[in-house]
Amino acid sequence: MAEFSWDVRSPLDRALAVGRYGGHGDAGVALTEIRNFDLIQVMARRGKAAEMAKAAEGRFGVAAPETPKVVQTADATLIWSGPDQFLVRSKGDKHGMAALAPLLAGSASLSDQSHARVLVSVSGAKARTMLAKLSSIDLHPGVFAVGAAAATSMDHTSVTLWRGNDRADGQAVFNVLVFATFAESLWHTMQDSAAEYGVAIGHSEEF
Amino acid sequence: MRIVCPFCGERELGEFTYLGDAKPVRPTADAGEDAVHDYVYLRDNVAGVMSENWYHGGGCRAWLKVTRNTLTHEIAAVEPAAGAGAAKVGA
Ligand SMILES: [Zn+2]
Repeated sequence: MAEFSWDVRSPLDRALAVGRYGGHGDAGVALTEIRNFDLIQVMARRGKAAEMAKAAEGRFGVAAPETPKVVQTADATLIWSGPDQFLVRSKGDKHGMAALAPLLAGSASLSDQSHARVLVSVSGAKARTMLAKLSSIDLHPGVFAVGAAAATSMDHTSVTLWRGNDRADGQAVFNVLVFATFAESLWHTMQDSAAEYGVAIGHSEEF
Repeated sequence: MRIVCPFCGERELGEFTYLGDAKPVRPTADAGEDAVHDYVYLRDNVAGVMSENWYHGGGCRAWLKVTRNTLTHEIAAVEPAAGAGAAKVGA
């Protein structure tokens, strides 16, 4: 019988080369892949949206988002992904499948997406300018504030986009969640879009 | 052209896919061959206001019912399609 050795690695393992590229001076854009997170898709079963909302609030202590936005708790991010559905992002199996299924399985369908998506954080002084080449969403601070989210497309690829908490230096952080199999393609596009401003490439396990 | 998705807000046309006339209703099992033929193949070529099905595949993945003037592209209304996308909508 064949022996298999499973090696957990990022779908961007080949494409992502840590370093500083492109235009001179300070890097205008930082592209950081966030690795090793738990991600559960929660979708209400027909007619059970209210029941799901109640169960979710019981679990997280706050209401899950019902409009395009994210809700931060102490150890989870609840991300709107469509009508009557949201994603739960956490770390260290705190809100993984085993934890959520007993509470939500009656009212919602759950699907583990932890290894099915890639998360890229985009920040820096030129982050908005760079994202404007790829997105038709208005990212002006007055429109897309901290906590805003959108199910949208970038470069013909479906993504979940949201604005996280600002960086320590006050700059905005945009999170792009993309299907693993499309991640390398979108990564190259984002890298190319950022190159003219100077881009710092890295990865992190920071929650 | 832009469509205001009831779930996502205003979005560019590229995020949507057009399915067609939202008016035809699937005939009952005993409706007969003519009614089924009509439902499957025959469509009105409306010059003016019509009700259409659109899919927000590049966004929230909900099916939408759009009331659109085919002469001016003016959109009068966008609603979630019955039973599609949202668990709380329709049957
Ligand atoms: Zn939508």
